[in-house]
Amino acid sequence: MRWLALAGLSLVALALAVVLGPAHVAFADLGRSPIVRELRIPRALLGFVVGGSLAVSGASLQALMRNPLADPFLLGLSGGAGLGAVAALALHLGGPWAVPLAAFIGALVALALVFRLGLIGGAELDPRVLLLGGVAVGAFAGAVMTAIISVSEAAQLRNAFLWLWGGLSGASWDTLLVLCLYVPVPLLVLVASARPLDVLALGEEPARYLGADVTALKRRVYLAASLLTAAAVAVSGVIGFVGLMVPHLCRGVWGQRHRALLPASFLGGGALLVLADTAARVAVAPRELPVGIVTALIGVPLFALLLRRWTAT
Amino acid sequence: MRRSAPRTYLAARLLVSLVLLGACGRTGDRRAAASPASGAVTVTDDAGHSVTLPAPARRVVSVAPSSTELLFALGAGAQVVGRTTWCKYPPAALAVPVVGDGLNPSLEAVAARRPDLVVLYRSPLNAAAAAQLARIGIPALVVKQDRLEDLARAARLLGVVTGHSSAGDTIAAAIDAVLRGPLRPPSPPPGRVRLAFVVWDNPPMVIGAGSYLDQIAGLAGGVNVFHDIGSASATVSLETVAARDPDVIAVLDDSTPVGEPAYTARPEWQVVRAVRQRRFVHLPADLFGRPSPRAAEAVAELRRRLEAWQ
Repeated sequence: MRWLALAGLSLVALALAVVLGPAHVAFADLGRSPIVRELRIPRALLGFVVGGSLAVSGASLQALMRNPLADPFLLGLSGGAGLGAVAALALHLGGPWAVPLAAFIGALVALALVFRLGLIGGAELDPRVLLLGGVAVGAFAGAVMTAIISVSEAAQLRNAFLWLWGGLSGASWDTLLVLCLYVPVPLLVLVASARPLDVLALGEEPARYLGADVTALKRRVYLAASLLTAAAVAVSGVIGFVGLMVPHLCRGVWGQRHRALLPASFLGGGALLVLADTAARVAVAPRELPVGIVTALIGVPLFALLLRRWTAT
Repeated sequence: MRRSAPRTYLAARLLVSLVLLGACGRTGDRRAAASPASGAVTVTDDAGHSVTLPAPARRVVSVAPSSTELLFALGAGAQVVGRTTWCKYPPAALAVPVVGDGLNPSLEAVAARRPDLVVLYRSPLNAAAAAQLARIGIPALVVKQDRLEDLARAARLLGVVTGHSSAGDTIAAAIDAVLRGPLRPPSPPPGRVRLAFVVWDNPPMVIGAGSYLDQIAGLAGGVNVFHDIGSASATVSLETVAARDPDVIAVLDDSTPVGEPAYTARPEWQVVRAVRQRRFVHLPADLFGRPSPRAAEAVAELRRRLEAWQ
């Protein structure tokens, strides 16, 4: 029943995203309009995949860190991606794909640095060090990025902040295709780790006694979740709260078991981001809001409510 | 595009000088423009503050490209002792020392130029700077320069404080004349070209009615398809750009060589007809990058470029 409701919600979100928009397209013309075919449909599907990926990444990282505040962007990827994008703009790298590609590379460099820092104590990935390393790398990359922007001559570079705040304006069938070829691998890795992640919730020592290969699990989950986030940030900038909030909402309904939690988070995150993006496009038309602002506007009150409920019980 | 530029430039200059002559005749005081006046001056700036100078300013730091250009146009170029990195027009301005970036300027760099007046662009980011300058005894004049009518007012204001008030009146009169549209040909062009100013691609940002560019488009016989947006610029959905279906897209070029914008190659932008058909109007940034006393020239230039697309 609850799976049916979630599937229904996802379909409704996708349908609304295709039917609603700032441009008027008559209902009968939906099938023929290039605005629907080339803009709305790829944008809705891209939003769904990005939202789903962020939510799964968030759910996995929360389990890995055993910290409810873990978020896909907590580990420095947003700073790395932003620095990559700004560097591409500052160096006048040509080509229509330069910025997303540079953002992806920036995120990968941040990922590698944080991973290396996380191993600083030995072969074991320490979640606390990972967290601190992520914050440090993210802050450093953010500082370098701001420094480049403030000493740069090109006024256009300031708009890089707009890109960073997130948005699905760059959606096209090509972007969607690239993402759909890439995303299934880390997603499957995470879903396959569902059972050991359940065990990890008991603590690293008990998980080891229960036969889980904790060292390998932590590395696998960290890398897969970060690779998912890196792809998401490359195509849509930093979209907050989906990765933090959706897993918590889904835990409320599906419980702690990751075999159910991860697929539910994917559908929930996808539906939420598609709904938020539709609101961002329609609410103040002909203007558009950054979608990250809409997810925060929905997310923060919801999160506050949840916090109250948890602290009450 | 570049080959015929001098001719248009001359034609526009001629029109401007005719307007200027007319205006000078009206004020009847042409000699005062040449020699700075003396004596205390008091003006009210665009932040509503009253600014009193013991005498017209002799050392002015201009912290906005549009006021730098305006000061040089007033004949006060020799009095400008500081500018921002963005102040690159007229070329003579490049010889003036740089004090910073414009918004939220470095007060030490400004003060080091020992100015008797600082001209700031009106922005919340500059409010603190104006207050701090006042504290160290340097008068600051806050000037709004977003629309062409602001520029007319700014020309009068800067003319008074630098002792070039009749030149200020002349420039203001010329801008007012442009706004009244005397340069418009007797019969309006048959189909007005519908254009969009796309200033950023992801997310798409366009120019709205609050900008001087919207005014220039209208005066040049075009229609800004985002005229209904009240602010100077706004983020819009790509599908809105596609649905508004502009005939041409105006691109501000601040880099040479002039090329097609990078988004021309993006698949999602092909939904916009003007992008698909490569219908771009390239606007040189030194003429169109800010509201300028050469507004008449900008209008004539845009009109000429739009005519090619009719």
